[in-house]
Amino acid sequence: MSKIIGIDLGTTNSAVAVMEGGEPKILENAEGNRTTPSIAAASKTGERLVGLLAKRQSVTNPKNTIFSVKRLIGRKFSDPEVTRDKAWLPYDIQASPTGGVEVKMGDKWYSPEEISAAILAKLKADAEARLGEKVEEAVITVPAYFDDSERQATKNAGEIAGLKVRRILNEPTAAALAYGMNKQKNEKIVVYDFGGGTFDISVLEVGDDTVEVKATGGDTHLGGDDFDKKIQEYLVDEYRKQEGIDISKDALALQRLKEAAEKAKHELSTAMETEINLPYISSDANGPKHFVMKLSRAKLESLVQDYIDRSVQLTKETVTSPAPKGAGYQISDINEVILVGGQTRMPAMVDAVRKLFGKDPHQGINPDEVVAQGAAVQAGILQGDVKDILLLDVTPLSLSIETYGGVATPMIPKNTTVPTAKTQTFSTAADNQTSVEVHIVQGERPMAADNKTLARFILDGIPPSPRGLPQIEVAFDIDANGILNVSAKDKGTGKMQSVKIQASTNLSKEDIEKMKQEAAAHAAEDEKKKELIEARNQAESSLYIAEKAMKDAGEKLPADVKTGVDAKIEDLKKVKDGDDATAIRAAMESLSAEIQKIGQAVYNKENGGQNPDDGAGPEQTEPEPHQPDQN
Amino acid sequence: MSDEPQNIMNEPELEAADPKLLSEQLAAAERQRDEYLAGWQRAKADFLNYKKEEMARLQDAIKYGSEDLVKDLISVLDNFDLALRSLERSGPVEKGIYLIRSQIEDILKKRGLARMEIKPGDPFDPATMEAMTETPSDLPPGTVAEEIEPGYRLHEKVLRASRVILSKQKEGSD
Repeated sequence: MSKIIGIDLGTTNSAVAVMEGGEPKILENAEGNRTTPSIAAASKTGERLVGLLAKRQSVTNPKNTIFSVKRLIGRKFSDPEVTRDKAWLPYDIQASPTGGVEVKMGDKWYSPEEISAAILAKLKADAEARLGEKVEEAVITVPAYFDDSERQATKNAGEIAGLKVRRILNEPTAAALAYGMNKQKNEKIVVYDFGGGTFDISVLEVGDDTVEVKATGGDTHLGGDDFDKKIQEYLVDEYRKQEGIDISKDALALQRLKEAAEKAKHELSTAMETEINLPYISSDANGPKHFVMKLSRAKLESLVQDYIDRSVQLTKETVTSPAPKGAGYQISDINEVILVGGQTRMPAMVDAVRKLFGKDPHQGINPDEVVAQGAAVQAGILQGDVKDILLLDVTPLSLSIETYGGVATPMIPKNTTVPTAKTQTFSTAADNQTSVEVHIVQGERPMAADNKTLARFILDGIPPSPRGLPQIEVAFDIDANGILNVSAKDKGTGKMQSVKIQASTNLSKEDIEKMKQEAAAHAAEDEKKKELIEARNQAESSLYIAEKAMKDAGEKLPADVKTGVDAKIEDLKKVKDGDDATAIRAAMESLSAEIQKIGQAVYNKENGGQNPDDGAGPEQTEPEPHQPDQN
Repeated sequence: MSDEPQNIMNEPELEAADPKLLSEQLAAAERQRDEYLAGWQRAKADFLNYKKEEMARLQDAIKYGSEDLVKDLISVLDNFDLALRSLERSGPVEKGIYLIRSQIEDILKKRGLARMEIKPGDPFDPATMEAMTETPSDLPPGTVAEEIEPGYRLHEKVLRASRVILSKQKEGSD
């Protein structure tokens, strides 16, 4: 079965998402963007253009560039909204023979469905290119206030585009789905959707797996574009005051200013002040003129405060007015608030909503993409993806084995999805060691003794050999039921031991929490302890290397070098078992410097004093004991 | 040795079982097997596809990782050109200034940035150009009369469309 896509068919921009691995994912369009302008055009050469390409020629071809067609779809020509929009939309609009609306693009008249279908067809084609497979079905979102005729028309548009429309979904419901709120019982949710050109407010009530729209409100002609326009006007005015130049007549200058205004608006969502810097914006008799102006967040907020206040007022009315105008709730009845639309990134807007409801609104999901994501979630439910998710457990705590010095060396870190397996090779800590103990522990503390022991066993029969030489392969394997199998195998002899631990994942919630809290509480002291142990282990290695080097060099070693190294060895031995990691490291470093003289001495003798610099000791190829080799 | 008694023990049991029940159990087991196999195959395929996509995404991330920075630097380059043009109008410009400009351009080129070459008379292509306005000219209507801001590609992607003024018929010329 081919994938069902979720489409947010917006007034200004549209987006497409699909479920993948149980998560909604936005599909980029052919131009590499995550949203597509909802614009279609017939170019002057008669070509059909959709999306960004249509937008790029809109200035010089306004009569044949159709945007905001969502405002017209499914409406009667006599609808007052149509009359209102007809006045400002630059393309021709007329009544269809059935009393509906027709728009002129090129030399032909089209129904709004056909224009929407052109946009949907591009979204479909781009989604197919991304997915690498045919797409035949879709969930399309519409505003909650759309009536039957508008919904039917949107569905028809999908069918014209070659999509079987599995569901027409309300935009606020989609947003709630994206936040996983369909599972909550008896919740009252407000969706505050401040888009580019429209402001929609919806009050939802979630019951037993149903989402009911209790009220809708807003302003179909209020949006983020108004904010941009306000900033732009302010900048043009200020510049006129400062320089006496009107740049609103210069197309390029105005375009640069428009982009700068939008960028400044975005930056002021995170910064308190931004600088608009447009060199050579214009020129007069005195030479070139530049545009440099600081814009603060406070100034921006004062410019658009009226819009924000209005949106809050409309929200309040929609929630509290008695039905049918509003939902007839108290503001305090509302359990959740969701923010949708790019403009809701503005901190002043978030604050206004927070102040109204007395709670933090949800804004974790990209507000430009949340509706498309919710449509994909609905598509996933229809497809069966969401219902049939195979729930896989994770390891609640790390599983480790104890290594030299009592350190817990993690084999399977916490939050690893099971089933999983991991193999690592270890070695012996002492010369002629013939057995190793495998101690399996669970927990986050760096020292094995502080964690919970799950099992221990001994692998013996290792042939006597220098430390670090035997290779003991330890394998951890957890199956889907949380049963852990641990085996240790001596690669030299093939001897093997293993243990099976039941239910390594089913600790009680309290146990897990307790163990995690303990780990956090002891983090600093544990870190110190671990550092000390590591220093001690390294000191052991250094001593081993130094003593071996002395033995190997034997009689060739000059007496002064021998005495020097011996002294350093004694120094290190003295501090090695103490609690001062810094002292251990210092002693180790001076020993390490001293043993280099062994190599130098040996080379000097053999080469008659030439090339002393190349004299690396033979111990350099010695494998580092206890350093696990990653398999 | 132990095989034989087991056979003897097992056979009567098999016969005693209800064949209908057995075939139902078998059917159920087969159904379950098919379901698990399908689930396993799907999970495996999902993982392999995910791996492939992640690799592609990672490569893209590396390739287009500097996109935002490059985009910001393009506008510096634009302003540099505006400054140069302004300086040129008031006399010869120190050669070093041009060298600095080409230095910036070279750095960006090495990161995959390429300027799109557009000349007057080229047909308008919305895939790479953005029409800013129209002006009467002798060039064929609808073609590029002037490029006012260059467009750039980052690898294959159009990072910024060229901003162009389109030609329109001079009034009274037809």
